[in-house]
Amino acid sequence: MNDDLIEEVAGAYRPRSTDELRYHPAWHDLDAKGRTRAYERARALRPLEAALDPDGLSTTARAVLARIRR
Amino acid sequence: MIDLDVHLAAIVAGDAEAFARWLAGAEMPVRLSLASFAAVVDVEAVVQEALLRVWQVAPRFVPDGAPNGLVRFGVRIARNLAVSELRRTKTRPVEPADLEDHYEVRASEPDPMLRRAIVECRDKLPAKPREALDARLRSAGADDDHTLAEALGMRINTFLKNFARARKLLAECLGKRGIAVDQELA
Repeated sequence: MNDDLIEEVAGAYRPRSTDELRYHPAWHDLDAKGRTRAYERARALRPLEAALDPDGLSTTARAVLARIRR
Repeated sequence: MIDLDVHLAAIVAGDAEAFARWLAGAEMPVRLSLASFAAVVDVEAVVQEALLRVWQVAPRFVPDGAPNGLVRFGVRIARNLAVSELRRTKTRPVEPADLEDHYEVRASEPDPMLRRAIVECRDKLPAKPREALDARLRSAGADDDHTLAEALGMRINTFLKNFARARKLLAECLGKRGIAVDQELA
């Protein structure tokens, strides 16, 4: 299992799209176990990110807000 | 129990700041509701899309009177989206549990003491791990890690190793303060 890929997929970056769901490119290179680890890591990271944000927002929440403000 | 529907009227009126306050509490229940799809669907992509759709359709949302109606609505959107992905990709058959509509929602707010401890531990990070962590936080999902690494003058694998080190050092620091940390951080 490639931990670098898991680390990438656990981040909030996703390619921009206006009309369809866009997966992280590295997600396709992970097996089921790696995808589950990426999910678990994201679940663990987001509260930390929110704690470090002045408004209590994770990078996921910030990414969503950026999309509604575009 | 926290009821995030206190923000509903303002969200319906188009107040993005109110939506941000709702997001701070709603994101985790939506994410947790997708755990069973993690091996077959990119949950992060589904979470972001579902939360965006909540904002788009909130003006037409009709509360049922029970707490956290908009969060439960967001969970329903997210799970429906995940099921649609399963059908589209045919990764595995859709199971009856995937279509379960009654999902328990617990909204919460961050603990200020925990928040302070995390900030203090972040401030103790060595320079390179801190740079990687801060770059991810500043970017907030706008740039991929290759772009962030390049901006910091790091190779991608060095950037990812530094980020992982930041994560582990934060967990270690919190652990030393007697704060239980998620195994996945360590």
